[in-house]
Amino acid sequence: MTIAWIALPLFMGFSSYLLPKTARYLGLMVSLLSMAYGLWHIVVPEPETLRLLDSFGVTLMVDSLSGFFILTNGLVTAAVILYCWAQGKSAFFYAQAIILHGSVNSAFICADFISLYVALEVISIATFLLVSYSRTNKSIWVGLRYLFVSNTAMLFYLIGALLVYQANQSFAYEGLAQGPPEAIALLFLGMLTKGGIFVSGLWLPLTHSESETPVSAMLSGSVIKAGVFPMVRCALMLESIDPIVRLFGVGTALLGVGYAMLEKDTKRMLAFHTVSQLGFVLAAPPVAGFYALTHGLVKSALFLIAGNLPSRKFKELKQTAIATPVWIALVLASFSISGFPLLSGFGAKVLTMKTLLPWQVIAMNLAALGTTISFAKFIFLPHESQSESSPKPGFWMAMVILLGGLFVANIAYYKAYTLVNMVKPLATIGAGWLVYLLVVQRSQLKLPQLLERFEHLMGVMTLVLITLFWMAVA
Amino acid sequence: MRCPYRVNNGCRVGTAHHLMMLMAVLEAFVFATVIGGFFGILLKKNIMMKIISMDVMSTGVIAYYVLVAARGGVFTPILDETANHGAYADPVPQAVILTAIVIGLSLQALMLVGVMKIARDVPTLDIDDIETEYTP
Repeated sequence: MTIAWIALPLFMGFSSYLLPKTARYLGLMVSLLSMAYGLWHIVVPEPETLRLLDSFGVTLMVDSLSGFFILTNGLVTAAVILYCWAQGKSAFFYAQAIILHGSVNSAFICADFISLYVALEVISIATFLLVSYSRTNKSIWVGLRYLFVSNTAMLFYLIGALLVYQANQSFAYEGLAQGPPEAIALLFLGMLTKGGIFVSGLWLPLTHSESETPVSAMLSGSVIKAGVFPMVRCALMLESIDPIVRLFGVGTALLGVGYAMLEKDTKRMLAFHTVSQLGFVLAAPPVAGFYALTHGLVKSALFLIAGNLPSRKFKELKQTAIATPVWIALVLASFSISGFPLLSGFGAKVLTMKTLLPWQVIAMNLAALGTTISFAKFIFLPHESQSESSPKPGFWMAMVILLGGLFVANIAYYKAYTLVNMVKPLATIGAGWLVYLLVVQRSQLKLPQLLERFEHLMGVMTLVLITLFWMAVA
Repeated sequence: MRCPYRVNNGCRVGTAHHLMMLMAVLEAFVFATVIGGFFGILLKKNIMMKIISMDVMSTGVIAYYVLVAARGGVFTPILDETANHGAYADPVPQAVILTAIVIGLSLQALMLVGVMKIARDVPTLDIDDIETEYTP
């Protein structure tokens, strides 16, 4: 059944070329199926392992962790397809979206390095085609830059995979423990770059902010997690990897939020914030699934909303009022990501904070404070009820799925509702707003985009590689 | 003991040692290719040259897979019931890298098409010119 489910999106993706009229329906069907499959594996937590073609073949492993990631992917894809429903996108767009959805799913269930390599490369190609869907030269450059960075990282990754094979005669994840430190460094360079973590992830803001609205929503909501998931999986399997993953989680949480606080552009702010939130996912590998689900829902909702605001600059948004319904959706999503009770961001934050190791706590609380500061920018925007620009119906359908998902997921972890747990996020939010109103709102500081230059992205790879090597040796 | 390698139609004393040396030299060349390709990506200013450097780097990676597959023997891994050919090469890395070659090829093709489009705006194809042209 798993095999049928994993093959279906690719099959549907290609057949939607033959039947262009049905592409939307096929896409919706595939994502609904993934949702059901993901939910099923969350409810029935027994891991399912498949070995195709004895020990040299493809290894697949599905458990409740994959279930959460698959559910996220299904919800985000469904919302994006509904958002595009009446926009007259060509069958090509939907076909690529379905194929992307399928390859992200396969990254969530594979348990050996080569299947993961194939899944990640298919993701690269489908993402490139989606990013450059508008066929403008600028979008082609953004896509090309993404393709180049990720492919170079994947070449390093391939060498690492071979070193693991040499030590174990198998590509399975478990072999990483027996592999030499070079192997860990090379493999993690690939995954960190694909997952947009820490300084290797600085390609992400430009790619995610310059794509079209639905594409950014899908990239930030689910696709980026395909690089993060294998790291979480390795950290859970092997104790020696766990500290490395947690340390990178903390690093990226602080780096991303630092940029996000000072950013003056809505979409770039959201993209930097993705870099930071992936840190929360990595910082506590045992509960990564729930956090990834919440973040996927919120971030794709926020990108869809940001695409419907009258401007991308915060400065202009402060002058032009936005329609009240849109503003309410925006505030709901911002509250969830800040960790306000009644939305699932609260449960996810509580769960993550509880699973942190002592040395991580201060840094992650700082990152949470930074999150509330950066989202205060959205919450304190002016709004009016009689605005003329009202978004299309597809927008509201997507919002119902994503924000509704936030409310429902909130019930799943009702144990979080104790007084102590409730006071802390409220205090963080209060402190964050205070800092925003007093300091950040007036600051004129603008961080340079120097590190996002193409040359520097490549140069940073060598630095990360050396750092990783010494971390693996230590 | 049978010699895993056949050089000059036979096994001579000292050949095993010779071949170990040869493998080490080959490995050094493979890594030089990978690193040379990566330095090309870093140092070349022209995006076209960067893409070609990436191809050089991926050639190095592919060669490394083939080299590791040949560690235990070099005979093509097709089972022959009638004759014993000595040590076979390991088929797994070869099969795996075949996938990677195909993926690499398609990525190259996509990138070159992209560069053709960009060349209309920035004929020099210099990376700094491209970034100043397209960065918001």
